[in-house]
Amino acid sequence: MQALTINNVRKRYGDVEVLKGIDLDIAAGQFLILVGPSGCGKSTLLNMIAGLETVSDGTISIGDRDVTDLSPKDRDIAMVFQSYALYPNMTVRGNIAFGMEIRKVPKAEQDEIVTRVSTMLQIDHLLDRKPGQLSGGQRQRVAMGRALARDPSVFLFDEPLSNLDAKLRVEMRSEIKQLHQRTGTTVVYVTHDQIEAMTLGDAIAVMKDGEVQQFGTPQEIYDSPANLFVAGFMGSTPINFIPCTVHSQDGVPAVTLVSDHGEVTVRLPHYAALQSYEGQEIIIGLRPEQVTQVDSAGAPPGTITFSAPVTMLEPTGPDTLVSVALNGQRVIGRAHPDAVPPVGQSMTLQANFSRAVAFDPKTELLIQA
Amino acid sequence: MSRSKFDPQVWLPKLVLAPTMLITLVFIYGFVAWNAYLSFSKSRMLPRYDWAGLQQYERLFSNDRWWVAAQNLFIFGALFIVFCLIVGLLLAIFLDQRIRIEGAIRTVYLYPMALSFVVTGTAWKWMLNPELGLQKLLRDWGFENFTFDWLVNPDMAIYTVVIAGVWQSSGFVMALFLAGMRGIDDSIVKAAQVDGATLPTIYRRIILPNLGPVLFSALIVLTHIAIKSFDLIVALTGGGPGFSTDVPATFVYAYAFTRGQIGVGSAASMMMLMAVVAIIIPYLYSELREKRA
Amino acid sequence: MSSRTAGAGMHPGWRVLTYAILLVAALYYLLPLFVMLNTSLKSLAEIRSGNLLSLPQDPSLAAWSKAWGSACTGISCDGVKGYFWNSVKITVPAVLISTMVGAINGYVLSKWRFRGSNLFFGMLLVGTMLPFQVVLLPMARTLGELGLAGTVSGLIMVHVIYGIAFTTLFFRNFYIGVPDDLVRAARIDGAGFWRIFFRIMLPMSLPIIMVSLIWQMTQIWNDFLFGVVYSSGDAQPITVALNNLVNSTTGVKEYNVDMAAAIIAALPTLLVYVLAGSYFVRGMTAGAVKG
Repeated sequence: MQALTINNVRKRYGDVEVLKGIDLDIAAGQFLILVGPSGCGKSTLLNMIAGLETVSDGTISIGDRDVTDLSPKDRDIAMVFQSYALYPNMTVRGNIAFGMEIRKVPKAEQDEIVTRVSTMLQIDHLLDRKPGQLSGGQRQRVAMGRALARDPSVFLFDEPLSNLDAKLRVEMRSEIKQLHQRTGTTVVYVTHDQIEAMTLGDAIAVMKDGEVQQFGTPQEIYDSPANLFVAGFMGSTPINFIPCTVHSQDGVPAVTLVSDHGEVTVRLPHYAALQSYEGQEIIIGLRPEQVTQVDSAGAPPGTITFSAPVTMLEPTGPDTLVSVALNGQRVIGRAHPDAVPPVGQSMTLQANFSRAVAFDPKTELLIQA
Repeated sequence: MSRSKFDPQVWLPKLVLAPTMLITLVFIYGFVAWNAYLSFSKSRMLPRYDWAGLQQYERLFSNDRWWVAAQNLFIFGALFIVFCLIVGLLLAIFLDQRIRIEGAIRTVYLYPMALSFVVTGTAWKWMLNPELGLQKLLRDWGFENFTFDWLVNPDMAIYTVVIAGVWQSSGFVMALFLAGMRGIDDSIVKAAQVDGATLPTIYRRIILPNLGPVLFSALIVLTHIAIKSFDLIVALTGGGPGFSTDVPATFVYAYAFTRGQIGVGSAASMMMLMAVVAIIIPYLYSELREKRA
Repeated sequence: MSSRTAGAGMHPGWRVLTYAILLVAALYYLLPLFVMLNTSLKSLAEIRSGNLLSLPQDPSLAAWSKAWGSACTGISCDGVKGYFWNSVKITVPAVLISTMVGAINGYVLSKWRFRGSNLFFGMLLVGTMLPFQVVLLPMARTLGELGLAGTVSGLIMVHVIYGIAFTTLFFRNFYIGVPDDLVRAARIDGAGFWRIFFRIMLPMSLPIIMVSLIWQMTQIWNDFLFGVVYSSGDAQPITVALNNLVNSTTGVKEYNVDMAAAIIAALPTLLVYVLAGSYFVRGMTAGAVKG
């Protein structure tokens, strides 16, 4: 059964269309991420799922109920806000119980749920405090507690971690994941942070300008991004884009790359579709981890080696990011810290083009292999 | 079952606001229109709704007392605003120097604002009383020939209104400026100190230029107070001696309610409205521009 | 938000001068209050023989009791006490009603905006700048038609009507600063328009309620224009009675009684200022900067 179905949903403010026909559906228990830059419409879509914004066109169903015109309280959802939105005049207990109080849940049951939820989130010692007396991480937990107390069929999260500092964010991220695994409730989670998207999601919808650019599993989106935007947006170290021209070598599509130490020609036998691009320019997308120091044990097929002077080094600890020039373009590789020479000296790198993706520069779309 | 029709959340806010909207339309906009109509009518003792064109305005403009009132407003307004700004700004700068008892001093500077202008007028009327007031005090102190009779001198009486007005309102301007100074990002001042700027330079080059918006607000409020000034003049000078300290606000009251010249009174009040509109428009313009930026 | 760190480098002589200037200014602001109090405690003979600053030889509250109970204000000679209570009867309901209406209006205009609500807010703001002389004549006529001319109820109505613009402004600007997410969270919890107002918004509004109450109280208590135009005889507020007392031309001028009456008229607002000065200042600056 589908937990949430979004069917051709549009949102217009006057003449401006901020959501241009969104279609998404997820199965019960899935963790859906809506990710994209600010202004892409992801929060608007979440608010529409919540019933906080009206739908201009299209339908939204939760379970098998059409909720398009229902008010928030009748949708069987709970929501965690970026600002936490805790009621400042109520205690933690009051915050968690407020929704139940309105739904006239018997007092004893309220107490039981508050106890269960607060124990689960380790905030049971804070129940009598006001939100103003809590730290950022504690407020975050209370906000989640308020949502959990509702026991809804869908949880909605609106950038819940973006107000936390880096360390706490990582902690809470794994807690949210554990919580999801424990409760098995469907989640829709909005973020602009692609790491959160990758680590949390079962399914990711990458949005831009009111449209879903790609909808798939995290790995699909990382490995075969549907277009240049998705390729560039996902990945903590940005993907390398290398423009080059396709030619044919022995009937196999190939590209020639120029480094300071000469030319290398790469054959792309697995990319049959490139044959029709012969003589035309394409953009190769290559993740940094595919460009690394030469492996003495031998390289996988489709790998080339080239040498170039190192222009910049960025150590991250386990790896060092190496910048070199290839085809007149800055290319970032990821190498073992011991394998990198000082800046200015030449380094030999191997690049695994069997994992490369290619884009049509005019349509910016992925050229399907 | 569209939500937009049956959900109380959609119509309830409008219903709740409706009484205020009605009140605003009737008692502000409707009344202004009504008053405008009166100013074009033949009304004298009683409102009459026969159209008289600009007749009342012609009578207003040929009335010497109106021109005295307008001139007084100009003199009073200009001096009141300038002195309030100077006194307020200076006190704010002095008070911004890590003064130990700042809270107490601020309280003292500001309390006149809590008083009614009638009380202020009464107090100053007594202090400026030429027989027993400041004049006598100074003479008792040995300044035998000291004379201070502005209150009863038709040429000088309007300046006593300035004195009392500045006493009442300058503390408020001080509070505005002080709040503005405290609102300036401290790191900017620190950066200037690191650059080697001296205290006067910091005020002249960094703090004061940043007070532009506060100055503008203060100017609007003071102008507004000046135009509406009524009770202070009634209590302090009663518009006298003669009608030498009349201002438009007292003129309107006198003509509309005691002299039975409703048409002239309403025409004069429309002129006051024009004056306020003339200061509101640049204010609203700047507010809107700020919001867009 | 702290004072300038600049004080550190200042020459001690300048500091002394700074304090001296501030103290002289403080004396200037305090002088009229002192003179009023001083004069109110003297006898008429002593007022004539001494000067503004000479202290009373034989302090007496006679002027105060006369001002309160038996001084002549225009026609009657019962002191200002009746008018004082008139002012109380006008101020209390007008302040409470206008603050309540302002709170609800501000809530709608910040959290339940609809098409045209911003335009309406702009139109309402004009009301904070309106010179009331423009509405005096129509309002006089309207009060007459409603049978409220010259009554306390009529003045309450006038003050509520022209106070709503200010109170709405206060609450609207306060609620604008409250995150919209709070209302959204409450809606998801199932709370409706009124419950959100009473359970979430109102309990956090104490500071702005104080600002509104104090602002309205000073405005209405200190009002003279509406009082002098719309009230007569027994229904006059204290400010009008004070002016009648001071400017009545009959009999001997009793400066001590005038001053006692002036202080009585000023006392309630002064008291509020002393007790809740910070709210008072916030109200003034909020009304000024935003209005």
